[in-house]
Amino acid sequence: MRSRNFKQDYRQLLALTDSVPVIVWSCLLVALLAVAPLLLSKYYVSVILLLLITAVGVLGLNLLTGTTGLISLGHSGFLAVGAYTAGIVAGKLGWPMLASIFAGGVSAAIAGIIVGIPSLRLKGLYLAITTMAFAVIINHLILNGGDLTGGSEGLTVPQPSLFGQALGAERGYYYVVLCFVVVFTFITLNILRSRIGRAFLAIREHDIAAKAMGVNLVRYKLMAFMVSAFYTGIAGGLLAYYTRYLNVDSFSLLISIEALSMLIVGGLGSVAGALLGTAFIVLLNESLGFVFGMIGASFGGSGSAAYEIKGVIYGLAIVLFLRFEPDGLMGRWRDIKHYWTHWPFRF
Amino acid sequence: MDYFLQLVISGIAVGLVYGFIGMGFAMIYRATGVVNFAQGELMMLVSYIAFTLAGTFQFGFWPMLAATVAASVLIGLLIEVLLIRPMLGQPVFSTVMVTIGLAVILRSVVVLIWGADPMPLNAGLPTEVIKIGPAGLYPAQLYAVGLMAAVLLGLWTFFRYSRVGIAMRATANVQTAALLMGINVKRIFALSWAMSAGLAAIAGVLIGVIYDVNPGMWTTGLRSFPAVILGGLDSVFGAALGGILIGMVENLSEGYIGRGMKEIAGFVLILVVLMVRPYGLFGKPDIERV
Repeated sequence: MRSRNFKQDYRQLLALTDSVPVIVWSCLLVALLAVAPLLLSKYYVSVILLLLITAVGVLGLNLLTGTTGLISLGHSGFLAVGAYTAGIVAGKLGWPMLASIFAGGVSAAIAGIIVGIPSLRLKGLYLAITTMAFAVIINHLILNGGDLTGGSEGLTVPQPSLFGQALGAERGYYYVVLCFVVVFTFITLNILRSRIGRAFLAIREHDIAAKAMGVNLVRYKLMAFMVSAFYTGIAGGLLAYYTRYLNVDSFSLLISIEALSMLIVGGLGSVAGALLGTAFIVLLNESLGFVFGMIGASFGGSGSAAYEIKGVIYGLAIVLFLRFEPDGLMGRWRDIKHYWTHWPFRF
Repeated sequence: MDYFLQLVISGIAVGLVYGFIGMGFAMIYRATGVVNFAQGELMMLVSYIAFTLAGTFQFGFWPMLAATVAASVLIGLLIEVLLIRPMLGQPVFSTVMVTIGLAVILRSVVVLIWGADPMPLNAGLPTEVIKIGPAGLYPAQLYAVGLMAAVLLGLWTFFRYSRVGIAMRATANVQTAALLMGINVKRIFALSWAMSAGLAAIAGVLIGVIYDVNPGMWTTGLRSFPAVILGGLDSVFGAALGGILIGMVENLSEGYIGRGMKEIAGFVLILVVLMVRPYGLFGKPDIERV
């Protein structure tokens, strides 16, 4: 039986991880992702690319909803702000790629502070609906943005390029996105083990109690919104260069719900859970699309029925996970780990 | 002035539908503390059921409404028993996500069964426009006014005088104390869902008769959120008033500010209201102890 809690000073307590296997497996995962484009076909690489971009946004939502406990249904709005800012400064002003992605993040962060202000007074479902209102208003502004956002016609984004070198979507851009994911995962882990992260957790558990312990609620709630929106804005910028065409329809409320369901499937509040949940839902979506693509062909190509059945299964996945696995995949993983380390004891 | 009155009156007519949906939200929230995000989808499903009933049995308006409400109450009970009750003891957020999941499912199920084309819901009502002052209203919209008055009166009497209604108010007030007084809280929850589904049915039939049934109807549920937030999530009558207010504001802003404002006017309004009163106009402030 592996014994625990032999930590002797604060540095050990705050270390990123004390487990060698975690480091080894994480490095292996990154290495595997790095060689993936050399081995897989174009289609699979673009699926992984989409998964990685989504992961950045979901990590951001996790900081707000999972760690700080503020429910947001407005992240489709932040994603739209990030994507459109990146698209506009790249397309109309000719900014280089990294600068425009960063600009997307910053503008979303500013939007995050603005949306965060009501959160100082609102709680729970009232807050959720307020953030939803923000997303609806953003979509309206984009739709009526005239030449700036292209309105309902959409906006085209230039090809991704780095230091004047054009990048192909499957190879070059893939590595840029992979770097972003690794960097943002590290930033998240480091936020969580700092004073800021502990303040976030205290707010999640009980914000008035946190205030009594000396956590500045105004500052940390706004910070949670800002950081979370920044992540999502960066994801928006990455998405803009991935799809290279932005349309307001692709930033519907469903995106926010999808992101929340990724968190729930993975396990709220855990970084690894957020990544796992993202992978699960994106791959579920893709494999459902694949299966129904084949069945649809034999049915005489009724594509819309397949799309709707996909919706049903997707909704069922959310409902069933909440019903039978409320701690998500990470909860199940913890149970398995406990079982192995404590056997033959039950806990 | 005529233009203004016309906007206000047709706004009220639209707002009544928001009111019915909003009352459904409030009914569930009051009792269980959960916002049913599937309310709009439930409304859509029910109005498609009304469409099938009307097509099969050649019902008139009132028999169709009665049959649809009955069917909807059953569906509401079914949802409560199958999906919501097992979530007791889980965080509210999880239950809310279950209703969101349900919403996604219902949206697809409706298209799978009835197809994606809009269809008229024919209830044999006269369709010529009735003039009221400067504004013209469809007879169905007048029915909506009457129905709203009847429902409000009925609900008020129910909550004020009937044993079950008082038990529901007690449960909404302090759940534990209600439980100790021998009230079957589970049954109250189920009843709240059933009543909420019944209100959704009225809204669904009205929208179907006034406009048509189409797979985009659930967005009306989304746009009823401002109504119920404005009134306060736990105030059923506030939701009705909120709905009417939102309907008017939407129409006025569309008429005076610009096209498309209808879509967001309600949301802008609640952002402002919530900044001033975080629990809506008629909601009950939460006093928290640590």
